[in-house]
Amino acid sequence: MTKSKKTKAMILLSASYLALTIPAVLIAPGNAMATGPGKTLNIRFYDDPAGFDPTNIFRIENENIAFNIFSGLTSYDSQTAAIIPDLAESWHSDDNIVWTFNLRRGVQWHHGYGEFTAADVLYTFERNMDPETASPYVSRLANVVSVEAPDDYTVIITLNGPDGNFLHTVANYHQGMIVNREAILDAGQDVRWRPVGTGPFYLDDLDVNSYIILKRHEDYFRGPAPIETLNFRIIKDEQTATIALRNGEVDVVMRSNRQQNIDTLREAGFKLNRTDDLFPSVRIFNLDHPVLSDVRVRQAFAYAIDYPTIINAVTPDIYGTASSILMPWMDVYCDDIPTYSYDPDKARALLEEAGYGAGFTIRQLSAASGGVPPDVQFEMDFLAQVGIDLQLELVDAPTFNQRRNSGEFELAGRGIPAINPDMVLFAYLHPDNKAPAGLNGARYHNPELTALLEGAQAEVDPEKRLEMYCEVQRIAMTDLPYQPIRTWNAFWPSAPNVTGVTVNMLSQVNYFEVDIE
Amino acid sequence: MLAYSLKKLLQLVVTTIGVVTLVFFAMRLIPGDAAAAMAGDTLSGAALERLREQMGLNEPLFVQFWNFLRNLLIFDLGRTMTTNLPVSDLIKSAAPITLSIALATIVLAIAIAIPLGTMAAYMAHKGHKTLDNLITGLAMIIALMPSFWTALVFLLIFSLTLGWFPASGAISWDDPYSVMMRLALPILVLSMSQVAILSRMTRTAVLDVLSEDYVRTARAMGWSELRVLFRHALKNAALPIVTVVGLSFGNLLNGTVIVEAIFTIPGIGTVLINGINSRDYQLVQVLMIFYALLFVFINFATDILYRALDPRVKF
Repeated sequence: MTKSKKTKAMILLSASYLALTIPAVLIAPGNAMATGPGKTLNIRFYDDPAGFDPTNIFRIENENIAFNIFSGLTSYDSQTAAIIPDLAESWHSDDNIVWTFNLRRGVQWHHGYGEFTAADVLYTFERNMDPETASPYVSRLANVVSVEAPDDYTVIITLNGPDGNFLHTVANYHQGMIVNREAILDAGQDVRWRPVGTGPFYLDDLDVNSYIILKRHEDYFRGPAPIETLNFRIIKDEQTATIALRNGEVDVVMRSNRQQNIDTLREAGFKLNRTDDLFPSVRIFNLDHPVLSDVRVRQAFAYAIDYPTIINAVTPDIYGTASSILMPWMDVYCDDIPTYSYDPDKARALLEEAGYGAGFTIRQLSAASGGVPPDVQFEMDFLAQVGIDLQLELVDAPTFNQRRNSGEFELAGRGIPAINPDMVLFAYLHPDNKAPAGLNGARYHNPELTALLEGAQAEVDPEKRLEMYCEVQRIAMTDLPYQPIRTWNAFWPSAPNVTGVTVNMLSQVNYFEVDIE
Repeated sequence: MLAYSLKKLLQLVVTTIGVVTLVFFAMRLIPGDAAAAMAGDTLSGAALERLREQMGLNEPLFVQFWNFLRNLLIFDLGRTMTTNLPVSDLIKSAAPITLSIALATIVLAIAIAIPLGTMAAYMAHKGHKTLDNLITGLAMIIALMPSFWTALVFLLIFSLTLGWFPASGAISWDDPYSVMMRLALPILVLSMSQVAILSRMTRTAVLDVLSEDYVRTARAMGWSELRVLFRHALKNAALPIVTVVGLSFGNLLNGTVIVEAIFTIPGIGTVLINGINSRDYQLVQVLMIFYALLFVFINFATDILYRALDPRVKF
């Protein structure tokens, strides 16, 4: 080939590419992913899937997939968070120690693994407690002495001591999700990507960087779900997700957290599917710190900041005001507890009394991913007005998690998502769980509260139990090792024709209840 | 040529070992690990320690390093720590997407920037300052626009307002049209900055040679201005342009990271960012090798192109 021919060939090659690309770009008709027969719901999924093996599952978004694949002995009502039957039709316990569960008959596993029986429950417990599985949730089964199956449809679980909240432990969440032995063995080391359950949907296809597809389980014991295909599209950027919803590329946005996006979607007529007071966020005071060990200083923090004003100014939809570390919808919640309304004079007086009238500087560990949000800037301003110089130590998310979990901070923040009140109260207030061994990052230990807490868990009489939990909350809100700063409201916006999107108190949506009109 | 190729191969081995060692230890210097990143809010204490054990993070550092190198030698890229999926599968699915974006961006950028830059040089040479200033000024403005901003603006205009392109969706190679639609916006965004850089580079290089004797001779021989420009001036100005194109291709592989995130493209940049955020050491180490290989290959290809363009170049 001569040089001029080479040049021409190169020009032709470039021109051909452009001829192929540009017209396609200009005549683009829009979106629409090919869908099969039946209804398809496209859902924005906001993070990388990390697997769906119940023994080692983490993070709300993965749990939402698993929630729709697996069943537990019990589950939760989407609206009220009350315990409802799932694989167990009924149960009873006279002493909160021996629990008898009567199982449903005729429940079918996905992919033809046969009928669910009591043997599957036994295997699930055995697997959860097997050291080889290394399940981080094994501690939640520490109170279990034995699990027996007198017949295929009865399971008797005996505990070491009474637990009035045990039905949460066997609910469709983490260790409570029932698995099938044969399916687990068949999956081998791919177990987290080959979940087999008895829930309304089964995993059909997955690309960890792009999508997760669930299909309807036709033999689901409550009948087939209205939607045939759930197509979870991974869209991390919330702005892009908002555009995708407006374009009709997705029907539901799993979690929308920015006020601006919520305002835009509200104005555009989309459903917001809001659930209030999902869980509280707290400021953790490290009680080993000489300044923070003084309860008057901690109370001064609480009096110094006008949270209702901040929330109304910055994020009126996303956050609510918090006055407790438990949420009002929890059955042991108590509203007869000390509260701290904005009172800067009282905050100054408390600091003066504690010997810090001249003020002090303190550092708060924060995740840098979102920069310094406006509400935190307001908090800093409010604290400065009473003499507290709050400095932020911004680190990336994995560093933040590691340091917070190991208790390496003066102050830190965290959300406390939980549906079982014991998971909050024991995890954050019991001395056995002091960081770094557990989640009690404040290193809080009040023997009176500990005795009450243990007593409340063991109490069979509901009224006495509630009164003991109330006293626990009163002490916690007086000692204030954790300062409730706000509650989180959940938004899963959807197209107007999508019905039944209810974010339950575990931040899960039961897609069995969702339909497209 | 053979000696040169062997030298490049040796360079590749040394570079790869260096990169792997550096990345291996640097990743572990950063606080936080895969277990903490994976568990997030959920775990602490003994439970977190159990997870760490399960992920092999409690092995001594040099044992982990040796295991990694040993597996590399038998071409076993291992499984990711956080998803337990084969790393090779992730690369196989993500790399073609990113490489397609980078390649198409470069082709589009060359197709636009070289005629534009040549024209600007010609105008400058002829004293038509207005058009030259317009082209170079525009190129400067485009070069200064950050790609994440341009990406969002393009999404708002072309996806939301005009509805021409989807903002999300799977990429299936079985459906080339949908792939083209999904990749069009990221390619356009990325090519804008490349056009800006390349056109300015072309302008400078062509302007330098327009006053050379051989260009004057070509004109004196009565050849058309177009032929003089593209056959004589541009060809002789090609070496610096090729260098910039080579470098740009390398930079593009990095540049796709942000654009992939905004356009939700499951490319190699997305995989890398996920790996870093989740402290997935295995995944990040393998990807670094992938990048090292790619960069060495690009350099090699650029050198070969030098030789094709200028026979005086010796290896």
